[in-house]
Formats: sequence, C-alpha cells, structure tokens
Amino acid sequence: MKQPAVVTLLAGGALLALVPWLHLPAFYESILYLVLHWVLLATSWNILSGYSGYFSFGHGAFFGAGVYTTAVLAGKFDWPFLATLPMAAAVAAVLGLALGAVVFRVRGVRGEVFALLTLAVTFVLATIVLNTPIDGGPGIYLSGVQVPRLAPTQPGTFYLLALAGAVGALLVAHVVQRSRLGVGLFAIHDDEDAAEVMGVPTYRYKLVALAISCALAGLAGGVHALFISYVTTGEVFSITVPLTVILMSVLGGTRHWAGPAVGATAITLLLYAFTKGDLALAGKATTGAVLIAAILFMPQGIVPWLLSLRRAAAPAAADAAPRETVQAPMPASTPRGEALLRATALTKSFVGVQALAGVDIEVRRGEILGLIGPNGSGKSTFINVVSGHHAATSGAITFEGREIARLAAHRIAHAGIARTYQIPRPFAHLSVRDNVAAAAMFGGAALSASRARAEADHWLAFTGLAVKADALPDALNLHQRKFLELARALASRPRLVLLDEVLCGLNPAEIDDAVALIRRIRDAGTTVVFVEHVMRAVMALSDRLVVLDHGQLLAVGPAAEVMQRRDVVDAYLGTAHAAAGH
Amino acid sequence: MLLRVTDLEVAYGPAPALWGVSLAVRAGELLSVVGPNGAGKSTLINTLAGLLRARAGTIEFDGHDITRLPAHRFCAAGIALVPEGRRLFATMSVRENLELGSLLAHARAQRARSLEHAAALFPVLRQKLGAPAGALSGGQQQMVAIARALMARPKLLLLDEPSLGLSPLVVQDLFAAIRRIGADGITMLLVEQNVATALQIAQRAYVLEQGRIVAEGDPESMLSRAEVRRAYLGSEP
Amino acid sequence: MTLPSATLLAQSALSGLFVGALYGLIGLGLGLSWGLLRTINLAHFAFTFAAAYLCYQLVTSTGIDPLLTLAVIAPLFFALGCALHWLVQRFDVSPLNSLLLTFGVTAIIEAGIQALWSADFRRLESHYAQARFKLGALFVPVPELITLVVALALSLAIWALLKHTDLGKALRAAAIDAPIAAAFGVNQRALSLLLAGTCAALAAVAGVCLSLSFTLAPSQIYAWVGVVFAAVMMGGLGSALGPLAAGIVIGVSEALTMAITAPSWAPIVSFTLLIALLLLRPGRA
Repeated sequence: MKQPAVVTLLAGGALLALVPWLHLPAFYESILYLVLHWVLLATSWNILSGYSGYFSFGHGAFFGAGVYTTAVLAGKFDWPFLATLPMAAAVAAVLGLALGAVVFRVRGVRGEVFALLTLAVTFVLATIVLNTPIDGGPGIYLSGVQVPRLAPTQPGTFYLLALAGAVGALLVAHVVQRSRLGVGLFAIHDDEDAAEVMGVPTYRYKLVALAISCALAGLAGGVHALFISYVTTGEVFSITVPLTVILMSVLGGTRHWAGPAVGATAITLLLYAFTKGDLALAGKATTGAVLIAAILFMPQGIVPWLLSLRRAAAPAAADAAPRETVQAPMPASTPRGEALLRATALTKSFVGVQALAGVDIEVRRGEILGLIGPNGSGKSTFINVVSGHHAATSGAITFEGREIARLAAHRIAHAGIARTYQIPRPFAHLSVRDNVAAAAMFGGAALSASRARAEADHWLAFTGLAVKADALPDALNLHQRKFLELARALASRPRLVLLDEVLCGLNPAEIDDAVALIRRIRDAGTTVVFVEHVMRAVMALSDRLVVLDHGQLLAVGPAAEVMQRRDVVDAYLGTAHAAAGH
Repeated sequence: MLLRVTDLEVAYGPAPALWGVSLAVRAGELLSVVGPNGAGKSTLINTLAGLLRARAGTIEFDGHDITRLPAHRFCAAGIALVPEGRRLFATMSVRENLELGSLLAHARAQRARSLEHAAALFPVLRQKLGAPAGALSGGQQQMVAIARALMARPKLLLLDEPSLGLSPLVVQDLFAAIRRIGADGITMLLVEQNVATALQIAQRAYVLEQGRIVAEGDPESMLSRAEVRRAYLGSEP
Repeated sequence: MTLPSATLLAQSALSGLFVGALYGLIGLGLGLSWGLLRTINLAHFAFTFAAAYLCYQLVTSTGIDPLLTLAVIAPLFFALGCALHWLVQRFDVSPLNSLLLTFGVTAIIEAGIQALWSADFRRLESHYAQARFKLGALFVPVPELITLVVALALSLAIWALLKHTDLGKALRAAAIDAPIAAAFGVNQRALSLLLAGTCAALAAVAGVCLSLSFTLAPSQIYAWVGVVFAAVMMGGLGSALGPLAAGIVIGVSEALTMAITAPSWAPIVSFTLLIALLLLRPGRA
C-alpha cells in the first residue's frame, strides 16, 4: 500500500527527468540544477534540525566534506566521478557521527550551544582542509575530470544527478516523518527530557537523524564539486551555506517534509530570476523583502500556511485499526505484596544541596504508597531519580530484582516505570491523542503506531479527555493537563506509576474524581506511588505512607498510624492539623 | 469603596471567561474570592492587575476608572500583585526582586523602610537577600513574592492562590503573615483553592463559578450555602 | 616551526588585543539584543558596515574627523534600531524567526551598500590612519587604541547600568518575565525600543571604529559573523563585559597562532577553544 505522497514524488521525479531532453538553454538547466541542489541541501538539514529542534549551523561542514572528498578523489586520484559520490556521502556521515557521538553525550548541549558548536566545527574543518595537503591553499581544479554522459548536455547531467538526490532526500524525509523515528524526533523537539523519560532513545535517534542528514549533504557536495569545477575552502565553507538552508527550511516550514523544498525553490528562483537582467542587487533586496514579509505574515512557514487554508473537516489520516480491548499491564514477576521497587541508601546531591540523604524505601506490588513531606524534603527528587530523570549520586535501586539506578531513562521506561510531572510537560506541538500515543509507542508497551493511537483513545476515554483528543495541549486547562499527564503515564502500561502532585490545583469535586481514578488504576494491576499535599486524598488513598524530611526518611507505615506520630505532625502538619485530630 | 467592579467581561479569544462580574472591596478589608478550578479566579485577578484586558464593564479604583489603563500603569494606580505560582525573577537576587517591587517614585523613596518592614514580616529572608530567588524553597519564594508586592506600597494587594503547592505547615505560617499585613490596614483581595483558610481569614467573600458570581456575603455562612457546596464538592454529600 | 622573538609575539598579542576589542564592541549590542530582547539580530552586522560606509562617505566628502560623524550616525542608527524592533514587537516575532527577519534586512542593506558604493574596496583616509606611537619595544597604532578605549568604556558603562541602576534591573526583569515586570510598573515595550535603539547605536559606534582600521567591502559583512557570534556566546548572552573579554581571548589566541604558525591557521585556536568550552561548560551560554 503506497502512500499518495510517495507515488506523487516518484511520478513527479520521473516526469522531471525528461527535462534535459527538452534542450533548454544551458542557463536554465543550470538554474534548475541549483534549485534541486538547494532542495536536497535544505531537506537534508531539516531531517535533523527541523524535526528535532537541534538547529545546526554546521551544515556547511558536511557539505564541504562531501565537496572535498569528490574533489580529492576525482581531481587528485583520478577516481571516476560517479564512484566518488557514495564516498562523499560516507565521509560526511562518518564526520557527523563522530561529532554527534561526542556532542550528544553532553547534557547541556541544546539550542544556541549546539548551533554555535556546529558553526565552530565548520571553521575548524575549513582551516584544517586549507592548511593540509587536502587543499593546501590554491584550491582544487576539477576541469580535467570527465563528466558522465547521463543527459544530452553537461548541465543536464548535473540536473539529473541533483534530481535523483532531491527526490531521494524528499522520500527519506517523508518516510522518517511518518515513522517511529519521526515521532521520537518531534517529541525531542518539544521536550527532550520528558521524551527520554517516556522511553524515546534520544541519543540513538539524534545520531541516526544526524547521520542521514550528513550523508545527504555530503552527496550534494560531491555533485556540486564537479558542477563548479574549481573548489576553494573560502567558497565551500562560507557561512552562507548554513544560513541559506536554515532560511529556506524555516520559510517553507520545518515540521513538514516538503517545507524545505518549497522554501528552497522559492528562494532560489527569486535570487536567480534577477541575475539575468543585471538586476542582481535588486534581486537580493527583493529576496530580503520577501523573507521579511513571509516571517511577519506566515511565521510557521509556507507549507503549514497552505495546509491550514485547505483544512477540511476530516482530521489527519484516520486509522483503520479497530479499537482493541485494553489488557492489564504486563504480568509482573513479583507476587502481590512483595517488594516491587527497593531503594537502598539512595543519595542525590545537587550543587550545595543534598536532596536525598541515604533513604531506604520499599514499594510493594499492588499497593498505593503515599509519599509526603515538607517542601524540599526530597519527594520530587525521589521520583526524578527512580524514573531516571536524574542520576543517583550513590545507592541502589532495584526494580523486580533488576538494578536500574545507572540505567538510561528510556531503558527504565521500557522496564515498566512511568511518571507524571508536577508541572505538566506535554509535547506542545503534538495533539492530545498523539501525546498519549507517543507514550504507548515508546514506553514499556512498545506498540506500533496504529495500535498506539487506539490505545491512546482508550486512555483518553478513561481520563475523560476523549473530546479533546485532536486539540493541542495549550487548549487544555490545568485539570485537563494533569489528566493528560496521567493518560500519558498509563498508556505505556507501566507496572509502577509515579504521580507527582497530580491533585495540586484541583477543587474537592475534581479531587474525588481523581482519587476514584487512581483506585481503578491500582485495581487494574498497576502499583502507584504518589506525592501529595492534599491530606484528604492522601488519607483516602494510601495503603502505606512514607514521610520524608530534609532528604531523610522520617516515618513509614500504615497511613493512620503514621499521621498520629508526634514527629510527623511537628515536621509537616503543624498544630492546626493536630488540633483538628486528623 | 476602594475598588468597584461593574459587569466585567473578560474573554480568551471567542469564549468569555468572566461575564457580568460585579464586586466591591472596602478599604481596609480582606475579601476572599473562592471557586472551583476553571471558575475564572485567576482571570479575575489578572484583569484587576492589568495583565488582561476587559472586553466590557468597568473597574473603578480609588475614584478613577482604570479599565483602559495600559498594564504598566496599574501599579502606579496603587494595585500590587502576588501572582499565582510566585513568578519571581528567578535569576536575580532576592534583594533585586524586592527592589523591582519599588520602581515607582513614591515607593522608591521609601525603599529602605519597606525593605526593613519586609524583613520584619519574614525574618528568614534577611539571610537570603543575596541569593538568587530561584534557589529558595517554595514557601520562601512565596514570602518574597508577597514582600515584593508590599514594596510597592500599594493601596490594594491582590493575592492569587498563595498556598498552591505548599505543605500545610508552611501554609499556616504564610496565612499568619497575611493576617498581620491585614492588621496593618492594607486592603487585600485573596483568591484561594484552600476554601477553609480563605473563608477563615476574610471579612467578606464571593463565590465564583463558571465565570459568574453566584454567592456573596459573610464567610461563616458561606460554607453552609448550597451554591458553595455544589461548586466545590460536586454534589450534596 | 621556529618560535618568533618575544617582541614579535608581544606585538602580535597586542594586535590581537585590538582586533579582539573590536569583536567585543560589535558583539556588545548583539549580545544585549539576544539576551535581553530575545532577538537574534543578524542585521547588527549590516548596521555596523552601513555606519562604517556612512562615516567613510562623510569624511571623504566633508573632511571632518571620523569620530565626530557619530553625532549624526549614532542617532540615525538609534532610530533604525527602534524601527526594526517595533516591527518585531508588532508581529510578535519569535527569536528564531527574528534571525531570519534580520537576515532579510541584512540582504536589503547589503544590496543598498553595493548600489551606493559598488563592490570595490574602500579605505577611509584620515589623519589617524597612520598615526602610531611607541610603547617600549612595541608599536601602538592610534585607531586601534581608540577602538580599545571605546570598547572598554562602553562595556563598563553598560555593565554598571545593568547591574546598579533601576533601569538596568527593569530591563533584566522584563527579559525574564515581561507581564509580571509590567505589573510592577515596567513599560516593557518602551524599554525594549530604547534598548534596541541603543544596540543599533552601539553597532554604529563599532562601525565607525571599524572604518578607522579596516578596508570596507560589502562582501566583508559576513566575514565577521562567525567570530563575533563566538565571542557573544562565549561571553554570555545579555552580558555587558562578557563579549569584550571573550573577544579579546579570541583575538589574542588568533594573533599568536598567526605569529607562531601561518596566518591561515588562526581560526583553529579560537574555535577549538570555543568547542572545548561549550562541551565542558555548556550551561554558561
């Protein structure tokens, strides 16, 4: 079953391949080559940077790597031109992987930092190429290299090569967008930490996207080397390459696979429409004006704007998969009442603050464990460490007998642990349904894309959000966003769910609803640990209570017993509660 | 009457969040507005603070019509806000946060005195003046937020859910401080989830539900009123 | 590679100090705009060059002292900066989109410069140009010294303003949370326009200093983008002293590399430093 877009692309590509036989003047064939060249470059950039939000300013480095690979192999070592192209792609991809392997491991490298890093890498690479025998200074001449005869004319041949590259890139971008990789990248774009904790293997996905992006850029470079036939570091590694691809992609729309292509076509045609008439300057100025107008009036990009114009009543591709009955979470190996999770001497220090100071906490299967304590006592930190959001400073955590304290967060999610955030962190650009479906896809349940959406619908119904399924998270009020957090946590079918102040901000009627909901979750087989301040709910729900104070365990036991203890009352509840006899 | 609101209508996009809201606050009193989540309490406070624009209706403060004033002039009119969720300038020091409360001329002249008064009200802040505001605990941040508003020497203090996310002991201390502020004669309008405390501390109360005022009167009788029970507890127990 | 003499190294370091000061001076307005206005203003470079060209033109036509042209140029660019930011505010342009918007403005300005002055190289001739004096064994060129002094003075002045005055605190607060700052009387829109105008005026000052020491060509606009962005990010967005310090570090390391190896190796030191810094302490930016 082929997607309409794939068919259109292939058909369009086949049609466009006939152009060289129209015998257009060389000038036009060159312009068309350039359009496709930029389509290829911009689309390749977008696969990493547009989808994941890691804006690279270094696309010029990978493009340049491809250019120089072909220039050196064909110009200095007499390789046949076409044979150099896979090498150009490979060298660029390896360069990207090497960079990504280091850079993506460092946690703080996001946003501007990543942009600057990639920019700096371009300069370093350019300097190395300039000063070593790769280029050495004078540049590399490719005039002696034979251009393969794929079309009646030389520009025509380049056109065909660029066409193949562009169509290929668009196909790849399309496939990625609709795949698990794409959903994962979009989740990373909106909230990488939440995505990782939910189960997206962020490191791996970013590397894959980077490798694909670099390979395609290298390919573009290889073809371009012969097109310009004289290669210098100044031209190849200039800052205009990365700036232009960013410009084209954002103009066309970064969240859509066709966006960069639209932007590239528009900009290239605009720029060159004027070259003919000696109006190059006017052309540059007009491009600038067009860009300004587009940013002001179509800030999401051209393609999303066009799509919004023809937004019909029908929502995005409805799934044919029937609604399945939801099963209970995967059967646990631990019998009811036994320890499901055990934290031993768990310590977590931040700069100057010891949030957890060697706590021993046991969570038994099938229970609802309440975790209470004053602000700063370590409750949220406990959840953060167990779910892998932060790494423990020392101590051990075993889950179903397995040590999880040093595992990457996404592996902890796969093991069957899910959590909600005190301040809801939905993926802002995904619909409510897709937010929950992503959890079903990447969490412990690891469902396919279509089954994940059905699963999402079930959990939305369970939490009363079914009517908002197609809305974006910012259309929800706080109560609904908290329940979205809950639905997302449950969609991965966890054996243990960690709730962080789910009831904060709700009124008594809503609290009653939530309490009933949490009971049903437990009855369906999921163990619950919840952090709360709302004492009514804590007393109503908890089988056992753990009280933390200043990062240490103050008390643990059945709820009623714990609340009578003098030290708990003093530390946490204050005299009013004691007097009221809670 | 220090503050008089008449037929206020505020909307987000097409859907109205508040309509036909009328209330009045007497100088020197503490007024509580209670209501379920989504009732429009924050919308009300944000409109009174100038952060939101009313679509219809009037706000009369201290004899002036301030309905159409731009946001940054509300403080000069004499209204100061303690926002929901504190919203301190987290990377700036506590001292700087407090200084930012007193930017306007009349407050600036009294800055040193106001700072001393804030330290007396919340002694723990004295050691924390140089620390970045974001490094403080939730309860301490709430104290800074209240102190920041007091630095503006306001005639009316607006408090938006001060107990949100705080543990019971801290909430107790906080409301004790709020009582002391009231005793100094500052008029306050309090919006709270914590119904019991909000009604305990107020001289008068309103109940807001789904964007409209459904009840008004003295706090003791509020809790037994059918509207309040229904709004809060869902159904008759 | 033979190590050059101490004097040559010192002279190189000195020239690196001067060019680094210019990096910092250009970066000052850029960093303030990025950190406090959430606008990545690529047009900052176009403003710098446009001011440089205007200075060149005024000096060539009227013969007045280049520094005096600031009396006309600075207010002009202040107004331009305000106008551009007004547009950004009016359309609520996001930081990323501001990069693109200002890219468009740069293209227009670049085209305008080329239309008025052609693509040929232009060099400002003034009585400063060759002026220099001797400090021990070292030569100190006067135009570069002026640039250094100007850069230091402006950076310090802005730092003091941001740290110690109510205006500076209001600006910083508005950058963190504009609605709440407004609730305490900060007219964020007006302050932003003021700051944007100031940043553009700072670009103009940098442009005049640039014209004293460097040859101008429209193609040169982009040559500075990489290294100045590096200085800004190393120094910290919204920082007044950071870009200057970082600029000087970059300038000196470039110059020393040029002296010890070949000029073409110069970028590698500064950018490798930057990469190392970003990887070791990414939270600083």
